[in-house]
Amino acid sequence: MDTVEPLKILIADDSNSDRLLLKAIVQNQGHEVVVAADGLETIEVYTREKPDIILLDALMPRMDGFEAAERIKAMSGEDFIPIIFLTSLKEADSLALCLEAGGDDFLTKPYNSVILKAKINAFNRMLKMHHTLQQQRDQIIVNNEHLIQEQEVAKRVFDKVAHAGCLHVKNINYSLSPLAVFNGDVLLAAVKPSGKIAVLLGDFTGHGLAAAIGAMPLAQTFYSMNAKGFGMKEILQEINSKLKDILPVGVFCCAGMMDLDLREKTVEVWNGGLPDCFLYRQSDLSYEVLPSCHLPLGVLSPKDFSCETQMLEMLDGDSLFMWSDGIIEATNPAGEMFGEQRLKTVFEEHRSAETLFKELEGRVNSFIGGSQRDDDLSVVEVVMVDKEEFEVENVLSNHKSYQGPMDWGMSYDVRPDTLREFNPLPVLLQILMDIPGLRSHSGEIYTVMSELYSNALDHGVLDLDSSMKSSTKGFAEYYQLRSKRLGELQEGYIRITMDYRGDDSNGLLTVTVQDSGKGFDISMQTDNDYKLDGYSGRGLPLLKSICNSVEYKGGGNEVEVKFQWSYNDSRKLA
Amino acid sequence: MSISAKTSGNGSELNISIEGRFDFSSHQEFRKAYEESGMAPNMYVVDMKEATYLDSSALGMLLLLRDHAGGDEAQVSIVNCNDDVKKILTISNFEQLFEIH
Amino acid sequence: MSDEKHLNQAALSDLKDIMEDDFSLLVTTFIDDSILRLSDLTNAVNNGDADLLRETAHSFKGSSGNICAPILESLCNELESMGDGNQLEGVPVYLAKVQQEFTCVKSALESLIGK
Repeated sequence: MDTVEPLKILIADDSNSDRLLLKAIVQNQGHEVVVAADGLETIEVYTREKPDIILLDALMPRMDGFEAAERIKAMSGEDFIPIIFLTSLKEADSLALCLEAGGDDFLTKPYNSVILKAKINAFNRMLKMHHTLQQQRDQIIVNNEHLIQEQEVAKRVFDKVAHAGCLHVKNINYSLSPLAVFNGDVLLAAVKPSGKIAVLLGDFTGHGLAAAIGAMPLAQTFYSMNAKGFGMKEILQEINSKLKDILPVGVFCCAGMMDLDLREKTVEVWNGGLPDCFLYRQSDLSYEVLPSCHLPLGVLSPKDFSCETQMLEMLDGDSLFMWSDGIIEATNPAGEMFGEQRLKTVFEEHRSAETLFKELEGRVNSFIGGSQRDDDLSVVEVVMVDKEEFEVENVLSNHKSYQGPMDWGMSYDVRPDTLREFNPLPVLLQILMDIPGLRSHSGEIYTVMSELYSNALDHGVLDLDSSMKSSTKGFAEYYQLRSKRLGELQEGYIRITMDYRGDDSNGLLTVTVQDSGKGFDISMQTDNDYKLDGYSGRGLPLLKSICNSVEYKGGGNEVEVKFQWSYNDSRKLA
Repeated sequence: MSISAKTSGNGSELNISIEGRFDFSSHQEFRKAYEESGMAPNMYVVDMKEATYLDSSALGMLLLLRDHAGGDEAQVSIVNCNDDVKKILTISNFEQLFEIH
Repeated sequence: MSDEKHLNQAALSDLKDIMEDDFSLLVTTFIDDSILRLSDLTNAVNNGDADLLRETAHSFKGSSGNICAPILESLCNELESMGDGNQLEGVPVYLAKVQQEFTCVKSALESLIGK
């Protein structure tokens, strides 16, 4: 007896002696045999015994082998049940009939045990292959369902992270597929405490979860650092090093980022790997091209990474466009790409800044043929608008009811090492923004804090003379000297004291900043505010316009400001 | 799409030629080209003469090659780029990482 | 005619190997089946039933081949062809030949199993 894997084989033959012989042959080869003597019995035994292979006589009483084969093939569905016809038929037509009825092979009488063995072995291999394929297919179906489920979960999580932003504001127009995160595209926008609007468009390499995975830390870093008032360079640096850490080599994020300053009418731009961004000038309908000057995020180690940005002026109505390569690679039915030239043509031919975004979207969609919308189209337009208007339209509502402590004070000392390397404002603002009602004044608070801090550092600790800055030449010298003195700084401090008191309706914040500088004769301050602070034309008058009171104290190296507001309507109190 | 590799200079240089579209579908083949060379070349040349297009996954693969070749110490040049290919490499500022001709 | 021609001795020895102890059972089963088939064939001829003739001759042919009886097999094949072509005139002559050949095969087989 040969050592083979035992199969269960159904032998259906109406001839008793032939059945006996075949049974002996098959059993000798190590298989289990079940038998039937006609077509109907064949179906019964098949249903009951579920054999692996059927050896089926063609001509039998009650139901012939052809019909039995057809029925069994229909019953077996997607399972593979090899049927070998047993026949002494020799005519080609009859053999064809066997195969048409669903037979997989035939064996002619008189039986040859060697040939039969070979055939059974061949079908056994096919059976195994079929099982493997079925298992793999089922596994793939299960995996695919899992994947879709996981993507849905991931998308929900990501939507929560991404929607913390302000993409809904009126001066941002964008187009982004709902499943963009799985195309690797990410669009984020946030209003900083300073009132600047930060926008980031990213395009990760690859597709699916692999592309989406980097979007989470990217979005979280973007939002948390913007909320704390960090600058664009610090945020880019942090995102780059985070992505470099977590993403495998070969996965990275082409990205463009901007900080739109509504007050200064400037935009700070960084482009690493996105196609040229366009800055559209409403006044003369021209556009400037802002090419990618950096490697994408997540490629270089922090020490090699360059977060050098470009600063541009923007007038109200001017707009900045960023896009992923999806728009350039959008393909029409003929296989042509939309391309850079068509993009430029849209900008050159267009006559109204207000409808440019819609026009662009329309042109791309009609190019690729309306029916097959391209999911990879990610475009964002950010328009420079009037600051007051922006704030009125996008009331930064304060849903928080009373949460924070009502009465506290703290003092924070900044010493040379920290003064040189670190900007303490984000940390302090973070604390202040938890005070009820104060978040809606975040821009003002940011201005006050940064004015106080830079006055203390520049004119106090570093002893720089603000009058230097009145000439262009002096301006450059001032900053040279500042950086030199800061680098060499061995002693000195800035002490920031914050005190908050609230009652049922109003809050009062008192901030005192004291520095180690030599100060000045404070008797001068009441007489001549403007002379005192003439260096920028903004410093002290700006503080006075925001705060309820500004007062220099002690030897002139200490200043105290008070800021008061109402909880009910977040209105600042005069 | 096909990728072929041959060594020269006594195995000190590996030349990888890309033909057709260079995208994610070439991932395995491209990796094989440098991993299975069995040599430790000190110079890698990626020949784009017959390459028609590359996408961002191809950029990722180039970074993987650079990493394999020693990261910051790697000597990898990308040669015979057509305008489209060059443009894509330039947008991503890959000339900071590779010698591009 | 010698047994040699009625039965293919080489194939038969393989058959014995395959069947082992069941060889006798195989032989008696074949003989019993064949007797039934011969009676079916006679009925078919008497009733002019070409279909019954063809089908019975067909399975008789297969079984004869399997039992290593080449002459019987080829005679059955002739009968099957006649039934297939609906030409029943020469059938009685062939049927007689089949009966005669079966008698020889039967006695040869029976002597093998010691009957």
